[in-house]
Amino acid sequence: MSNVHSDHDSPSENSSSETKQPRSLAEQASFSIAVLMLATLVGLVCYLWLGRREQTSPNPVVITKPIEELSGQFHVPFELMNQGDSTAASVQVIAELYIKGAVVETGEQQIDFLSSHETESGAFIFSQDPREGKLLVRVASYKSP
Amino acid sequence: MTLGSMKRRRKRQQRANWTREIEDMTRGACGGFLFGVPLLYTMEVWWIGSTVSSPLMLLAIATTWAIVFFLNRTEGFRRTANVSFTDAARDTIETIAIGLVCTTIMLVILREVTLQTQLSEALGKIIFESVPFSIGVALSNQFLSSSPDEDRSQSSQQNNALQDEAPKPEISGTFADIGATLIGAIIIAFSIAPTDEIPMLAAATSEVWLLATIAISLLISYGIVFEANFANKSKRQQQQGLFQSPLSETIMSYLISLVAAAMMLWFFQQLDFSDPASMWLSYILLLGLPATVGGAAGRLAI
Repeated sequence: MSNVHSDHDSPSENSSSETKQPRSLAEQASFSIAVLMLATLVGLVCYLWLGRREQTSPNPVVITKPIEELSGQFHVPFELMNQGDSTAASVQVIAELYIKGAVVETGEQQIDFLSSHETESGAFIFSQDPREGKLLVRVASYKSP
Repeated sequence: MTLGSMKRRRKRQQRANWTREIEDMTRGACGGFLFGVPLLYTMEVWWIGSTVSSPLMLLAIATTWAIVFFLNRTEGFRRTANVSFTDAARDTIETIAIGLVCTTIMLVILREVTLQTQLSEALGKIIFESVPFSIGVALSNQFLSSSPDEDRSQSSQQNNALQDEAPKPEISGTFADIGATLIGAIIIAFSIAPTDEIPMLAAATSEVWLLATIAISLLISYGIVFEANFANKSKRQQQQGLFQSPLSETIMSYLISLVAAAMMLWFFQQLDFSDPASMWLSYILLLGLPATVGGAAGRLAI
């Protein structure tokens, strides 16, 4: 790479740069670093390839956090984690609030993209206090990317 | 010749070699940024990187290697006509390494690769995003470099002729620079401004990383125009106007690129006046990066 401009950097070197010049220390060093980096990258990819276990399906799991009351509304924060090895797309999370056995409010959230062991978070918002009834939060569906 | 003077000469030669090597690297990196930044702001590429399997990653590296090798073999890095097979192969490895480093830095700054990112996902993103960067590095001499000696003599003659006829006022040189910066910024950033990537990146970033975005934008802009020895650099150094101190040019053009970014975001209704100031700031700084790269390239073109 560094020979590129040697022909114009100094005209007196012009003729000698056409004949083979031994590579300078700078060139050797940068080439060695480049080789090391590329080898590391290929090595890491191979390590992942060879060390790959039998891939399990996407396994999105949702956990709800303590309810917060903000401006008269009830926020139910949730965390969604994909515990499987494969990526899931369009992960649909549904929340249903049952009071006296009937569904009074529902919420739905869609996460575009959830790779293996990735965690996404969000919140469902209800106008009635979920602590007075039964709250069901579940992952309803996903698709393979 | 005494032993001491020979030693000194060798030392000087070594220092020159290192300087040349660093200049070459910088030039290559700048070419990579020009070519690679638009794809960096494409979320589909992040997704492909996230889901791609290891064999496909290896295939992507091999394909990049083949393309870059072909470029280096024909007209890529070297000026000399007959590039040997081994020289081209060595250059290709260095080209890809520069591309990988630039891509990794950018993905970390844009928070697409963090400490929480899975190794396979990070590798996939880096490998796929580095393809255009590597091609840009290989093309950096090809499409942005002309013979500096020729350039220098030609442009100085032109400049002398112009100055003899009518001394060019500083103000018009400044306007030309502003115009070129704006045109370059618009060419690169216009296609990024209306997309969802800017809001997505803004959601993932934080104040520290916005400062890093500012720093890398200034660094790339400075690198492209002043360090990279691209085409017309000597002409630029003779051009008059407010833009002519390297530092002030870099800062001025960055500010102009930010204004251009703000206008593009407003034009595409990504931002309106009811949005909070922090949102304006993060959007503008994130779009400012490709805009600055474009602006720097634009100033070289005039």
